[in-house]
Order: sequence, then C-alpha cells, then structure tokens
Amino acid sequence: MTGFAEGLATALQPANLAALLGGSVLGVFAGAVPGLSSTVGLALVLPLTFALEPTPALLMMISIYMAAEYGGSITAIAIGVPGSSPALATTFDGYAMTRRGEAGRAFGISLFASMSGGILGALLLVVALGPLSRAAIAFGPPEYFGLGVFGLAIVANLVGKDPLKGILSALIGLVAFLVGLDVLTGAPRLTLGSTALMDGLGLVPMLIGFFAIAEALDAVAGRRSRVETTTGMRAALPRFGELFRLWRPILRGSAIGGVIGAIPGAGATIASIVAWNEERRVSRNPERFGTGEPAGIAAPEAANNACVGAAMIPLLALGIPGSASAAVLLGGLTVQGVAPGPLLMTEQASLVYALYAGFIVAVVFMMAVGRLGIPLWVRVVSLRPEILMPLVVGVSLIGAFVLRGNLADAWFALFFGLVGFLMLRRGYPLAPAVLGLILGPMVETNYRRALALSSGSHTVFLESPIALVLLLLAVASFAAPALRSRLRLGRGGA
Amino acid sequence: MLAACDSSPDEAVFPSRAIEIVSWATPGGPSDLLARALAEAAPDHFDGRRVSVMTRQGGAGAAGMQYLRSRAGDPHVLGVFTASGTVNMATGRIPFGPGDFTPILRIQVDPFLVAVREDSPFQTLEDLFEAARTRPGEVSMSGFGAASAHFLGFQRLRASAGEPDIRWIAYEGSGDAVVAALGGHTDAVHTNYNIVREHLRAGTMRVLAVALPLTALGDTPVYQDEGYDLAPVHWRGVVGPPGLAPEARADLRERLLATIRTAGFQEYMARAAMEYAVMDDSDAFGAWIAEEVETSRALLGRLGLLVNE
Repeated sequence: MTGFAEGLATALQPANLAALLGGSVLGVFAGAVPGLSSTVGLALVLPLTFALEPTPALLMMISIYMAAEYGGSITAIAIGVPGSSPALATTFDGYAMTRRGEAGRAFGISLFASMSGGILGALLLVVALGPLSRAAIAFGPPEYFGLGVFGLAIVANLVGKDPLKGILSALIGLVAFLVGLDVLTGAPRLTLGSTALMDGLGLVPMLIGFFAIAEALDAVAGRRSRVETTTGMRAALPRFGELFRLWRPILRGSAIGGVIGAIPGAGATIASIVAWNEERRVSRNPERFGTGEPAGIAAPEAANNACVGAAMIPLLALGIPGSASAAVLLGGLTVQGVAPGPLLMTEQASLVYALYAGFIVAVVFMMAVGRLGIPLWVRVVSLRPEILMPLVVGVSLIGAFVLRGNLADAWFALFFGLVGFLMLRRGYPLAPAVLGLILGPMVETNYRRALALSSGSHTVFLESPIALVLLLLAVASFAAPALRSRLRLGRGGA
Repeated sequence: MLAACDSSPDEAVFPSRAIEIVSWATPGGPSDLLARALAEAAPDHFDGRRVSVMTRQGGAGAAGMQYLRSRAGDPHVLGVFTASGTVNMATGRIPFGPGDFTPILRIQVDPFLVAVREDSPFQTLEDLFEAARTRPGEVSMSGFGAASAHFLGFQRLRASAGEPDIRWIAYEGSGDAVVAALGGHTDAVHTNYNIVREHLRAGTMRVLAVALPLTALGDTPVYQDEGYDLAPVHWRGVVGPPGLAPEARADLRERLLATIRTAGFQEYMARAAMEYAVMDDSDAFGAWIAEEVETSRALLGRLGLLVNE
C-alpha cells in the first residue's frame, strides 16, 4: 500500500493535478462533440505531451480517456446523438428520459454511473492485472467470433415493433461493413473502384448520419418534434437514494465493461451495449427499457468507463493497445521512453502507482467537471429544435472531418443521414444497423481466421469452452425476446 | 487553403511560412510518431517556423498522398513515406506511383524478424520451415495486414527457403499479431523489433532470426547467417510534393539532415527502438523506392494479389 500512497502523492503534485484537470475538461468536450472521441482527444494532445514529463503526460492522457467516455453520454442524453460510439446504448434510455422532461435526472444518473464504473475499472486494473492479461491473450479467433455473434444477437432486443425491419436494419449495417479492404486478403470489396471507400464507410460517419442528420431531417419533415417538452425541462438532479439504489446495474455494467474492455479489440462500444442488454434481460420490467429506465442509463455508462481501466490491462501488462485510444496512449508513452510490457511493474513501479492513483483523481475531476456542466447541458436541451438541430448537424460534420482529416467522411455522414432518414420514415430502427457495422468485422474476420487456423474444421467453435458458452448465450438471447413477444414486445432502442 | 492564410509576401525566401508534415498513418503508430518527432525537432532548422503534423487519413494513404500531390512544387509540405506506401502502389490499390513525389531522404529501417513464444518447439528459423515442410499448411504465422509490407517481407523470406507451406494469418495491427503468437493461436509472428522488445526483455518471447543485425538484439541470428540471402525491412523516410526544384530539394535535405541529428530526435529514435539508416542521396532514395515498388509488384503478381490487372 505504500506504493499506492506514494503514487497518490505524485498524482497530487501541482503539475500533475493541472494535467489531470486539463485532461478532464478536454476529455468531456471531446467525448460530447459528435465525431470527436477519446481517440481524437488523445491524438490532439499527443504533440502537447511531448513537452511534458512522463508522469503528467500519462496522467493527462488517462484523464482525457476517462472523461471522454463520460462526455459521450452528454450528447446522447441531451439530443439523442451519441457523442462518441460507446454512448450509443445510453441514447436508448437517456434520451427517452430527456424526452419525458427529466434531463437533469438522466445526466445525474449517467455521471454517477460513469464515476462508479471508472473507479471500479481502475480497481480491477490494480487487483487483476496479471490474471486478466492472461485471459486477454487466451482470447483467440474462435472466442472473438463467439463474442461477436453474442453481440449481434442483441439485435433481437433492439428491433422494435417489427422484428423483420430490425433484422433488415442489421443487414444494412452488415453490408456497410463489407465496404473496404478485406482484412485477410487485402482485396477491395464493394469499393466501386474508389480509393475513398477503401478504408470503409466508418462508424463515426454512420453515427453522425443516423443520429444527427437523419433525425434532423426527420424533424424538418415535420414528423415529430424531437424533444416534446422543451419548456419546463427539469434540471433537478436525482436524489442520492435513487443513485445508490442503482448499485446492481452499476456493478453488473462495471463487471461487463471490465472484462470486455480487457480483451484487445472488443472495446467500450460493445461492452456498453452488452451491459444495457444484460440489464434488460435480468430486469423484471424489460419492456420499460428504451422508455427512460434509470438502469438502462446506469449500466452502459458504468460499463464504458470501466473499460478505461480495463483497456490499460493489455497495454500495461503486455504492451498491446486494446483499443484505438490505447494505441494513441501507447504512442505517447513510447515518445516518453516508457515501454509498457511484462517488466513495467518491476522497473517503473512508481509510474504505475502514480497511474493507479491518477485514475482515481481523474474520476474525481471528471465528476466535478461533469457536475458543474449539468446546468449548461440542460440549457442546451432547452434550445428550440430549429436552432439546436442545425447546430448539431454542423458541429457533427466538422467532427466527422476532423477524425481523419478526410472530407470523404463528411460525405459518408450525409449519405448515412439520407439512408437513416428513409429508414426512420419507414419505421426501421437504426440501432441494429450500427450494431451490424460494429460487430460484422469481428464476426467475419475471426470466423475466417479460425477456419484458416483449423484447416477448415468448424469444430473449433465448439472445442473452445468460451466460444461455446458465448454462442449458446447468443442463441438464448436471440430466442428469448421472440418467445416473450407472444406476450408483449418491448420497445427497441432507436 | 490553410497555407493561403499565413503566406508571407516574400515567397522567394524559404521557408516563407509554416511547414506541414502530412501523416496518413494510424495516430500513435510508428510512422505517425516519426512525423511528430520530426515536427518537434524541425523548427530550429527551418528558421524557427512552426512545423505541424497534418492528419490526412483514408484510402490506404491515398487521401494524404492526394493532398501532397495537390501541392506540387511547394517545399512547405512534406510527407512521411514508408514501405507500406510502396506496397500499396505495387498492388494497384491506390492510383499513385513513385513519380508522384519528390524523394528527399530515408531516415530509418526497421528490419523484420520472426519471433515465437518462449515455450515454442522452434529454436531456429530452419526448425519452423522444416515443420512446415513435414506438415504442410499446419504452421501459421501472424502478422500485420494482407498484401502489406509485413506480408511481402515474409513472402520474400519464405521464397528464399523454398516456399514451405506456412499459413499467413493477417491481423489488423502488429500488436494484435503479437498477441496471437503469445496466446498460442499462431506458431510465430512476423513483426519488428520495437513491437516485441518488452517481451524479449521479459523472456516471454524469443526471436528466431532477424533480417539485419540490430545492436539491441546482440548475437541473434541474422537471415543471411542462416542461409537466407535477403534482408527484408520496413523503412521510413521523407518525401516532398512532385515537381520540387532541385535547389529546393537540396535545401530540404540539408535541413532535414540537421533535424534528425538533433539530440531530441536522437532521443526519440532510441526510445522508439529505431536505428538510423540514413540514405541522404535523394536520387538513390528515389531509386530505392522505385525498386521496392517493382520488387513488390513482381512478388504480388506471382502470388496473384494484384488489384487492377
């Protein structure tokens, strides 16, 4: 424990505190602006960290990462546009709660859950670095395939009133993911001979197109007003009693985030959707999910923040970045002369302890910045849609461009906006398509990789206990709503 | 567009405004870090002008190359060019060729190596190839990308060993490929030193052989000593837009040479576990790029992996 105390003392030095605070403010902003994400926030400060000492540089980066995972929920709750992809699941219940006029409550739940998840993820990092890093490398192609199929089965809970439309929506996402270079052969697929399509259509343009542009078009088309109660929006925060009653979804969400976050390449978006789905599954009132259920906000928000600590597990123990954000972090560490890997804990223990303590301080700052910001977010929600929506679309398009400095991404976002608009008008839910785009690559690539390694034998998927359990869970998860639907059908997410 | 905002009236003097280094690589990855390390060390040697990295990702580098090409003749725009760029040109995936840039200098080479988990039955490269000969198709090698520089580096090695049947399992990143070998999902990984450095130091992985001798790897066998007469490397250098005047190119070369000799840049090289392999004859560098494209194209053609043929 002395190591941790020294780490805390380091994290509390003025320069380090300043780095943590600056990172938190920047991170909340990067998370909240659609198009920007923790990855973009980290890439933007990467040159800045060159001038810093290793400890403040590292602390600034983790506080950006942490705060951005919370920041994504602000836009998700305020306007139904996930500020970054891990906040997708938060739109389901968070935005629904806002539409009921309870934005303050939703913001409060999200912040509290993010804080709890952030701390639990950091604790997991401290206590389970070794075992979880070994579990992470045990995850091979059959296991990734199982996880991907399990994630896709969640579509069954997102389909809305018409299962066929939900499945077609998922297929649209699966077709969209096929565009680009085939990872396993390098051959272009569905690129129509265009280099712009070679890296695929991208998740960020899809999120912006579907949730910002399509919804704005839909509002303009006069189908419905986005926020029904723009006046009388209650800024009231939830009472502590309500927050503490959410301990179960928060714990479950954190556990899911902690495990999935530690698996390289799986990530916070998948973790938060799985967390939302699990919460719905164990709930006594699954039909309330998607209508503004507090647990439907708490679980995914706890999960995506727990992923931050968990993503450090493969990074610190193996030197392997588990997410795009962790890859930028690794780049920053490399420049600082810090080489994460099996020897880090023995050779640079003081830095690692400072990092552990930094996580806790980062969460506190995230909480403070988030709490101070809530009245502001509530005021944004109260803006008239005809002012708010053009603003959202404009900022989102800029965000889409900034991500890769590529104008094509803004065009893709407009394209998805049009597709999403047509889907909305015909009653297709949008969330299944996003899930298809996120999980399609994981399922397809690992299916083929597993078969390449097994000389074409499908039994590999059954020989791996983890893959087998995940596939069985997928079947159960897919079948359950179909069975339940005889009684009544829960509302989908989008 | 941006340049127009801060251009100075006197265009005759170089540099007359800020320098941009276009990066089309993954943020935080080795090429992106090289661009950023250059930007950090360069201002002192560019008359104190601001040097910034401009991200232009997309289209397997095409977006960045397009931007560079659009600034023909302008010495204020530079790009980090790597072996991956030549392979993408060779496959026909991107509509660019070596003639679309002005080569300036090569800075580093990053030799490929073959590594295994510490408990692997393979002690030498020959063990691995022998296993592939006796059990064709059962030995697997993970590595970054398909039809990538890493893939071709391995195919060259495999060709010189008499084409033993080893399955290439492509991964989205070099780190993922290392995890696959660490987790025992593949038999070996074909990668670069900096990616496995910590695992070598910790003893969790071993290098069977490396393409070129590296100081850090001590007496690790080199391909040549093992009887494979080749040295496939990943490499990175700096190019300018097409149509740079010879004087402008020579000027850039001198300034960049001074930049990479600064203490700050040397520190970056050491920390990133890179070794200098400077090729400061711009024409020789250009010839090297053209040769790499041709070698890659011939190999890809033999493997049936050309896109537009």
